[in-house]
Amino acid sequence: MTHRALRFSGFALFVAVAAALLLTPFAGFAQNTPGPASGSSAPAAASKQDRWLHVRVDNPDSKEETVRVNVPLELAEKILPTINHSKLQSGRVKVDQFDCHGVDVRALLDAVRSSKDGEFVTVQSKDADVRVAKQGGYFLVHVVDKNRDKKGRVEVKIPIKVVDALFSGGKDELDLVAGLRALSAQGDTELVSVKDEENTVRVWLDSKNVAD
Amino acid sequence: MLLAKLALGFGGTLVLAGAYTFHEGVMRIDQDQVNGQHLHVWVPAAGVPLAMRAVPRRYLEHAAGQAAPWLPTVRAMTKELRKYPDAEFVEVDDAAQHVRIRTQGGKLLIDVDKTDEKVHVTCPLATLEDVASELERDAPGV
Repeated sequence: MTHRALRFSGFALFVAVAAALLLTPFAGFAQNTPGPASGSSAPAAASKQDRWLHVRVDNPDSKEETVRVNVPLELAEKILPTINHSKLQSGRVKVDQFDCHGVDVRALLDAVRSSKDGEFVTVQSKDADVRVAKQGGYFLVHVVDKNRDKKGRVEVKIPIKVVDALFSGGKDELDLVAGLRALSAQGDTELVSVKDEENTVRVWLDSKNVAD
Repeated sequence: MLLAKLALGFGGTLVLAGAYTFHEGVMRIDQDQVNGQHLHVWVPAAGVPLAMRAVPRRYLEHAAGQAAPWLPTVRAMTKELRKYPDAEFVEVDDAAQHVRIRTQGGKLLIDVDKTDEKVHVTCPLATLEDVASELERDAPGV
């Protein structure tokens, strides 16, 4: 290779590297351009092992307010122990009065855990129907409010393993990190559903990084 | 010929310096108020940690002291968020405002659209992590 060709090759290489380096941030700019309204951009697929907790609050009628929160459980597990504020310390929440007016919550949970599946409380009145049960490893609470014009409905479905994990910490505290860890081992499930005349609230767990 | 070589060297240095300066992207803050006030700040993200080294230590210590309780949280959050694909973490939409917090292309984007004010913040997660780590070093008792 002649000296002239060598110099030209060196120059071409320099220009190519410089151009590649220079264009890299503009690729970032292109990604960074604000997209259209939410939901219109294609969501990236979360990795299969990621578990996401979703909270959605809607006003179906007035459509005045919508809240959507999507949190990866692993992210929450890592962040919670770093927060030391008020009653939340190292991923645990201090609860002042755990006895709940004389009721020993831990003893109650032990009793529920060791009992067979079944209904523990069933109340049917003109104001509301209430059902508290244990079924298939879940603690279920169903409330139907009959008082209003449009019936309110609350459904809570908590895995008993999660409740156990929450109470696995010391006395008078809830271990949120242990609870999240237990929750992440669960399959896709709807944890809380509240419907009343104004709002719809849903809390659920799945592997998607976007709300439905 | 000598002049051409000098120009090439100078131009090449500028290109490389520009490429390095912008390789982490841009930290961007846009604020538009209904009274006509506008604030638009675009800063090369790579320059932020460097600029922090130039800030007098007492100012950094003051800022670090104020933010100290939350610095480990910010650092952990930014570090973890980088592992996830682009996602929308919070969206609040009501009659008065529209708030979105999301990640896109390794950046944290916060958009607040109110009737009288619009604020858009874009910051590379790596820069946030660097800043939190830098402040942690100056924060007492962290």
